Amino acid sequence: MPRTAPARALVAGLLCLALVPALAACGSGEKNSATSTTATTDNGSGGRRGGTLKVLSEEDFGNLDPGNTYSSAALELLSAVDRPLYSYAPNNPTDIVPDLAAAAPKIAPDGKTVTVRIRSGVHFGPPVNREVTSRDVKYAIERGFNPSVANGYAPTYYGDVIGAARATGGPIIGIETPDPHTIVFRLTRPTGTVLAQATTLPLSAPVPQEYAARFDDVRGTSEYGNHQVATGPYMFAADRDGNELNVGITPNRGVRLVRNPNWSASTDDRPAYLDEIDWSVGNDPNIAGRQVLDGNDMSLGDTPTAAIVKRAVENNQGQIYFSPGAGSRYAALNTQIPPFDNADVRKALAAALDRDQMRLVRGGAMIGDIATHFLYPGVAGFDEAGGMRGPGYDFLASPAGDPAVARKYMVAAGYPSGRYTGDQTIDIVGDSGDPSNKDAELVEDAARSLGFKTKLRLLDSNVMYEQYCAVPRARVEICPTVGWSRDFADPQTVLDAAFNGATIAPKYNSNWPQLDDPRINAAMKQAEVVVDQQERARAWANIDRMVTSTAAAIPWLWDRQPVVSSADVRCAYQLWNQGHCDLAYSSLK
Amino acid sequence: MTRYLARRVLVGVVLLLCVSALTFVLFYVLPAGDPAVLRAGRNASPATIAQIRHTLGLDRSLPVQFWTYLKGIVLHFDLGYSYYNNAPVRTLLARQLPATISLTLGAAVLWVLIATPIGIVSALRRRTWADRVLMSGALVVISAPVYWVGLVALYLFADDIGIFPLLPGAGSYTPLTQDPGKWLGSLILPWLVLAGSFAGIYARLLRTSLIDTMSQDFIRTARAKGISERRVVLRHGVRVALTPVVTLLGVDVGVLLGGAILTESVFNLPGIGRLGVDAINHADLPVIQGTVLAAAFFVIAANLVVDVVYAFLDPRVRYSSSSSSSSSST
Repeated sequence: MPRTAPARALVAGLLCLALVPALAACGSGEKNSATSTTATTDNGSGGRRGGTLKVLSEEDFGNLDPGNTYSSAALELLSAVDRPLYSYAPNNPTDIVPDLAAAAPKIAPDGKTVTVRIRSGVHFGPPVNREVTSRDVKYAIERGFNPSVANGYAPTYYGDVIGAARATGGPIIGIETPDPHTIVFRLTRPTGTVLAQATTLPLSAPVPQEYAARFDDVRGTSEYGNHQVATGPYMFAADRDGNELNVGITPNRGVRLVRNPNWSASTDDRPAYLDEIDWSVGNDPNIAGRQVLDGNDMSLGDTPTAAIVKRAVENNQGQIYFSPGAGSRYAALNTQIPPFDNADVRKALAAALDRDQMRLVRGGAMIGDIATHFLYPGVAGFDEAGGMRGPGYDFLASPAGDPAVARKYMVAAGYPSGRYTGDQTIDIVGDSGDPSNKDAELVEDAARSLGFKTKLRLLDSNVMYEQYCAVPRARVEICPTVGWSRDFADPQTVLDAAFNGATIAPKYNSNWPQLDDPRINAAMKQAEVVVDQQERARAWANIDRMVTSTAAAIPWLWDRQPVVSSADVRCAYQLWNQGHCDLAYSSLK
Repeated sequence: MTRYLARRVLVGVVLLLCVSALTFVLFYVLPAGDPAVLRAGRNASPATIAQIRHTLGLDRSLPVQFWTYLKGIVLHFDLGYSYYNNAPVRTLLARQLPATISLTLGAAVLWVLIATPIGIVSALRRRTWADRVLMSGALVVISAPVYWVGLVALYLFADDIGIFPLLPGAGSYTPLTQDPGKWLGSLILPWLVLAGSFAGIYARLLRTSLIDTMSQDFIRTARAKGISERRVVLRHGVRVALTPVVTLLGVDVGVLLGGAILTESVFNLPGIGRLGVDAINHADLPVIQGTVLAAAFFVIAANLVVDVVYAFLDPRVRYSSSSSSSSSST
């Protein structure tokens, strides 16, 4: 998924100057390491039962319907409430484990059929209370295509299911339920491996049709999210009729999770130590950060401010953790119009860019690793694509920038002086949020150092995407502060929408550099249907190298997400989802 | 008086219509996030986004959307459905209003109670050290940004992060109906912070107004009649001097009922102001419309109340029942 509005809050104002005494790694020249976090990961085993964890955040959740929601915070919450077919253990972001499923998915050798056995003895919470069957999973996925639910990723990951292309919420013939504990997906293309991994998203969590249909079959928006039925260890507090709005889900105030009385530990690997989770929203980030660090039983639900990170690093080292694999950031160069339709000009800009400084304005090495390609740590294919060192292209070899290499590529592009001599003004559109605005300015500096005249516009993140970077006719030359985070561990979720020429659209375009390279497009088409996981990793790693070699975008940061908790909270960091506490594995000391 | 009130109510309704139309147009004219994209996520296909736009009615023409919206309000008092929170706007407003009312009315009482004696003392002791100290103090509290004062108050006095942990801090708001004691405790700091800056303004305004009033002929007449100075000041002077203060009070209370954004944000009070800010961040037009309409309604209603109160405060003010050209005569 693209890094969206919350990114404006990400590491807001994390100025290294303010952190220098605390962050020894600040400054150039430190090693580019993925292992320099301050705590080890924890799967939560052996925790103490009982207690209420209070989570404080600034951002509200929005719609919490498992058939629709997509935000990181909502995924964190729903991972304790719903049981999709598969999920990730908190300390393993790459290997899916059966959740509602009883065993690993059976993917036919041709990749066109996926069969999943479902556990016996899993029950819906109140007010439905009956045992979950495969038909509930079938309905959950089908409702994702209902316009009243309108799941954003269903067409992408379930679109190859036979009949899904024309689905509007009714039965999809390619989803079969031969018995109450088996579900079979029949596909038009061999994309079973991706579909199996996509079932880690909440869309595959069972929904009881006899209860939910009255909320779904409406003109407008489904209200099932405010009446949803749990299968996980926790449920949203509700009244007797199952209404959660203003009971367990209170917009602008927060949510309250209580134990699901119908959950059975014998059917689940999650320990579910906590009795209750009380998540309040609308908190001032500085105050909430101090409340968490100084108080008890609390965790911060979104990114701490620079002041809080500094305070935690200086005084509360055991209470902060920098979670790797939180996404990637890059500068997209418009490959469809001059001057960046010339690959050598793009490489020159990449070589001129001081990516070290770009990281420094965010807080230095603790906040992430300097990116050398697009598949980031925690995504399959990362190692095959070159790992931390990257594929070794000279224009990305020097984190602080290399003027000599930049000059070499400008000469190759037809500018003998090593500087741009045309009269075009480069339009740069970046995110106005701090510190992204500083990163945009550094990209502008690099362009100017090559002789370009520039016009920098800093805008709200939503406006930046929807009016400029995601609209090809806006003809923006550089979008310096875009980024991407995975939907699940498969590399396709990082590279396909972002660099496949077939995804270029006149509006809502996610291929921001508008890269349309026939070789890369063909390689992606082939890789999409590779069934074996290892082969997939290699195929997509190869595509990653191809994309990086075009310099259509300049990778500059692989994020680490700072996570802050009270001293008495044992947080099992959800490495697959920005590193926040996994509510079903965390406990109070 | 009745005809006057009826006319004011009618004008108020027209104003609300205008405000609503303006908000609607501004939302579409100015760059903002697309609610359909925010709902679907940015890697959703254009077809999915188009489907959501259709479901939400965003693909209809602007006049049709506005007409549907107005029809909903007039016929069913339906303020629409929040794209982001997935809840009826009417429910959201009803849920947030008690916190805003609690904050505003409590703070208003406090700032009037603080400002009135300060204003009177300063006016009656003009150019003395007491006047200078009080007015300088008023200037200081007016100049301090509410957000900053709120943060300082929390860092000093909040029971969780404060140096002197005396009062409940941010996020401690409890509805009055749930626990009156906790409700009171949770609002003391927000009341003091919000009332502080307003008290400064009101004290200065009352001082100026009272100085002016005390030099009027009717005050001299009252004194000539042998009425005690205390009675002259309180019954004749202050009562008339309060007229501009009440005007301002009406506007301020109306505006704050529409959302005391900064105070609500720093103390995490679930009020109308915070709801509005979140709605703007998420391009949630129905909620933006709802909060703007609520704010406009409160401003109009508060001004109407002020006009009525004038008649009781100042004997010179009488509303004409026959005048067609003016709403009041003095």
